[in-house]
Amino acid sequence: MASTTTPPAARTRVPVRGVPLARNALPRRWQASTPRLIALMMVALVVAALAWGAVGAWTVSQHSAAASNVVSVREPLSVEARGLYQSLSDADVTATTAFLSGPRESLAMRQRYQADIAQAGAVLADLSAAAAAGEPQLDASLRTVATGLPVYTGYVAQAQTDFLLGYQLTGGSFTQVASEQMHLVLLPAARAIYNQANADLAARSAQATGLPWIAIMLVIFACLGFGLYRAQRWLSRRTRRTFNVGLLVTSLLLAMSGIWLLTSFYVARSDLQSAEVHGSAPEEALAESAIAIQHARGDEILNLISRSGSTSFSGDFNAIRNQVGPGPGALLTAAARANQGSEAAQPTAAAQADARAWYASGDKVFSLDVAASYRAETGLVIGTGHGSSAAAFAQLESDLRTAIADDQGVFSSGAAAGANAFTGLEAAIIVAAAAMAAGCAWGLAQRLREYG
Amino acid sequence: MTLASLRLPELSLAAAAALTVLAAGCSAASSPGLTSPAAASVASRLPATPAAPSVTLNETGSTLLFPLFRSWASAYHQQFGQVTITTAGTGSGAGIDAASKGTAAVGASDAYLSSGNLVSDPRLLNIPLAISAQQVNYDVPGLSQKVHLRLTGSVLALMYAGLISYWDDPAITSLNPGVRLRHLRVVPIHRQESSGDTFLFSSYLATSDATWNSSIGYGTTVAWPHVSTALAEQGNSGMVSGCARTPGCVAYIGISYLTSALGLGLGEAKLANAHGQFELPDAQSISAAAASFVSLLPANETISMINGPAPSGYPIVNYEYAIVSRVQPSAARARDLQSFLHWAITAGNDPDFLNQVRFAHLPGDVVTLADAQIARIR
Repeated sequence: MASTTTPPAARTRVPVRGVPLARNALPRRWQASTPRLIALMMVALVVAALAWGAVGAWTVSQHSAAASNVVSVREPLSVEARGLYQSLSDADVTATTAFLSGPRESLAMRQRYQADIAQAGAVLADLSAAAAAGEPQLDASLRTVATGLPVYTGYVAQAQTDFLLGYQLTGGSFTQVASEQMHLVLLPAARAIYNQANADLAARSAQATGLPWIAIMLVIFACLGFGLYRAQRWLSRRTRRTFNVGLLVTSLLLAMSGIWLLTSFYVARSDLQSAEVHGSAPEEALAESAIAIQHARGDEILNLISRSGSTSFSGDFNAIRNQVGPGPGALLTAAARANQGSEAAQPTAAAQADARAWYASGDKVFSLDVAASYRAETGLVIGTGHGSSAAAFAQLESDLRTAIADDQGVFSSGAAAGANAFTGLEAAIIVAAAAMAAGCAWGLAQRLREYG
Repeated sequence: MTLASLRLPELSLAAAAALTVLAAGCSAASSPGLTSPAAASVASRLPATPAAPSVTLNETGSTLLFPLFRSWASAYHQQFGQVTITTAGTGSGAGIDAASKGTAAVGASDAYLSSGNLVSDPRLLNIPLAISAQQVNYDVPGLSQKVHLRLTGSVLALMYAGLISYWDDPAITSLNPGVRLRHLRVVPIHRQESSGDTFLFSSYLATSDATWNSSIGYGTTVAWPHVSTALAEQGNSGMVSGCARTPGCVAYIGISYLTSALGLGLGEAKLANAHGQFELPDAQSISAAAASFVSLLPANETISMINGPAPSGYPIVNYEYAIVSRVQPSAARARDLQSFLHWAITAGNDPDFLNQVRFAHLPGDVVTLADAQIARIR
């Protein structure tokens, strides 16, 4: 179909349409013959097509890997890191609550404490195994928790022993020492691990939605498209063939693979960004709230144990109340705004109401402390009845957990959809690039053959 | 209403034995480095002398520690002329606040830092300086000072609850066979303000009596049961003078005020410990009580020693603490502070100083741990 019986006009070496006259003014050695130009064009287009395939496949693999990494590695690690913090914090709250409950600590409390410690140990092992080499800060934080946890459990065991033997005050002082170990050593390290996991998640997410390589692909796309257009136009004028099938097919493949690439990227970016805005961001705000309220719950309990007359506990409790909210700029308010219309909206709203109820109990707790009404204060702090601080806190914790799980679901499904948008694209681009290179070579080889 | 009976001595003995065994097992985990060579060598790394330029270190806080600090300040200045130490008895809470705000080099406190203090300001250290105790004084006319009434935590709880109204109540006379007690109203005296002494005394009552523990509890402030004769006084000196002018009084007072209390004719009680033994707060009983906790002491030296397991220990003992920030404005200041604190827990624990205020010296292992804390000051 592309073969010809008429010798091409190019052989005559006279100025032709489409060739600038200036070229004829060039020294002879600089003037390329038409076959040489076609050969050069073929090499350039084949190389460009292969570059499109190579860079395209690499870009897709990077974005796809980053998106998959977000879904299957970073997000679970972030959840685990938060779990580590919460297990440790809950263990401390449970241990101190058990102390206030008296010598007959309930089996449920003992089991909860043990489950928290076991959970923290398991998560620590997972995180240590998953930690990449060359992250000294993360490594140091993991080591701090690993070495500090046995010290903490040793203090708690000592407190339990003293208490069971009737040395209540000594047990109380060890409970305080254990709590100090938790608040000054373990929780800051667990917090650093959580921050690092979150930073890694954000970095991977940014990599999956980042623009630089897509911009480079667009540049290659434009250059290759322009090159194909100019080549076909030049061939059309020089060889008096309207179409070159090989180049035409290459152009179509370029257009198809380019559109697929851009569509996939757009879909993945949209899905991942939506997952971040409607899943990850409110989830993080709720998780921060959950962490903060556990700290404040610890304040209530330690205040009752220490009975030092110090106002530092109530001051800290009030600072956390302002941080968590609801209120302007508070975490729960931000989460509620981001969760509007989602499944997490209802538990988030419930958590806001729970928080108000718990703060009201906290106010009563601290006022009873000032009045030295320790019996009433103890009943309010650890009692399970309606209106007790313990009950209000448990309700708040439960609703926060539900809201976090809902947001986690939003993030996971959005991120998974984003990762799936790249399915098959890498192979398709490689195949398309190979076909494009072959199309260029074949189409231009036809022309070259005509020159014998 | 009846208060619960005393803890059975047999139970306490078994508990004490078990505690001692467990303490040995747990001490390695809870107090790493307590007796290690590394900890022992800490003292050798501490500066033996202060920095050369003249400096003033200000101390404020516990009124119980105030007399001791005053004699330490004088002796230290004699030894190291470039260091002047100013002292002030402002109360433990004020001492902690001043150390936290950096307005005092040393805050003196009868109580260890609460978790709240430490969590809100992790730079603070509580370093034991000596062992103190609290005695119970009374004014029962006609009773010789050579006779020391025996009182238990439970009986004291009944007296402070208004359920024992007269000194000749059978609950008291049964503890004191052969002592003739008059039919005199009991006047319980307690501290007016929030105080470490109230914390210690109410802790003793709470650990001795389950009903007191569940209904009143312990704290720096306590909701004292309404007793028509009860009095509230300000500070230890107020407790001493208030009791001295009130026949029938019973009052809890810091050990460094014992001399003045006895000088005003007040009686001194023997208190029942967890074994049911009655002890006076002397050097032996205070040291014995503290010794039973030494192996348990955590690295930050925070511990309550009320009603401990020592068979011959006095039941209301505590460490007196220096509250200092481990972050000092300059290396010279850090060196001055390290040098003084190390001196206080070694040369300053000499009987010449401690006997004046009836404190007991720190055991060697506690000094080692304290040195390790002092070494953290930078």
